[in-house]
Amino acid sequence: MWRIDRKGNREFTPGKESWDAAARVARDCSSFAADVDEELIADEQRSCYNCRYRRWSAASFTCQAPALAL
Amino acid sequence: MRILLSIDDTDNLESRGTGEIATLIAGALQQKGWGSPGMVTRHQLLVHPDIPYTSHNSAMCFVAQIDEGSLERVIAFAGDFLNNECAEGSDPGLCVAVLDRLESAGELIAFGQRAKLEVIAMQEAFDLAGRLGVHLSEHGGTGQGVIGALAGAGLRLWGNDGRMKGCLKFAVPGTQLTVAELLGHPEVDLVRCVAGGEVRDCDLVEIGEKPKTVLLDGASVLLVSALQRDGGGACWQTLPRKQLRGY
Repeated sequence: MWRIDRKGNREFTPGKESWDAAARVARDCSSFAADVDEELIADEQRSCYNCRYRRWSAASFTCQAPALAL
Repeated sequence: MRILLSIDDTDNLESRGTGEIATLIAGALQQKGWGSPGMVTRHQLLVHPDIPYTSHNSAMCFVAQIDEGSLERVIAFAGDFLNNECAEGSDPGLCVAVLDRLESAGELIAFGQRAKLEVIAMQEAFDLAGRLGVHLSEHGGTGQGVIGALAGAGLRLWGNDGRMKGCLKFAVPGTQLTVAELLGHPEVDLVRCVAGGEVRDCDLVEIGEKPKTVLLDGASVLLVSALQRDGGGACWQTLPRKQLRGY
């Protein structure tokens, strides 16, 4: 589910359109925190795609959470 | 006079968002009696490894009708607000464009469109703002947010980019409203089918979670799609979040 990018960040390998996987990972993540309303894109409230610790990249996002619970 | 006020790169991972700061500036402008702000819109810019941004690289913009003599006050207030309120590690930028004094709207729009596709240098943003007579200022950090602030103004001026910040509060999820009722609210200029079908004023729309409008052809448009199940009279539904992502 994750790979380490060139800068040492954890990048979500399923990409930007894996809504179920992003929801599943967020469900089990103790660091999840919802982003501000205008930046929410997933209909599932708890999703990595809605997390304030995700930083969008060209192909996916990297997780900037202080601790990642996989 | 009508102005566009756009800001970018005011936040960090822990702080309040750029959209909230734009809303606070818009609210203050009204409270102080300087003018009437319109809705705040969010504009997605390029996501690229060479661009420093916190999380999403989006700019926030609003249009306001202000008194002729309030322009300098508005610029000074917004600048001070950014100086005081922006988060540690952010690189805020502020753009204020007076629409009737704008030298070349086309150039500003083209800049906004390019900022969705290319990495642009700060100096180019300052050069263009100077040429067009647009206020552009940096308010901490590296000031890189000036690029997004200018681009946000261009994209809002274009009128075919971005979605509203927040949602239509009058439209309660699970209820049904006619198109005419939706159009009765100032935040909705048009109701349009995302697939191009004809939408009539008497048609019923089922309201989903957090309905919001997008900017198309300069209008605030509520996009709907055909309801595929028995909607108890409704033939349309508002779009879910994931379908609004591209706006």
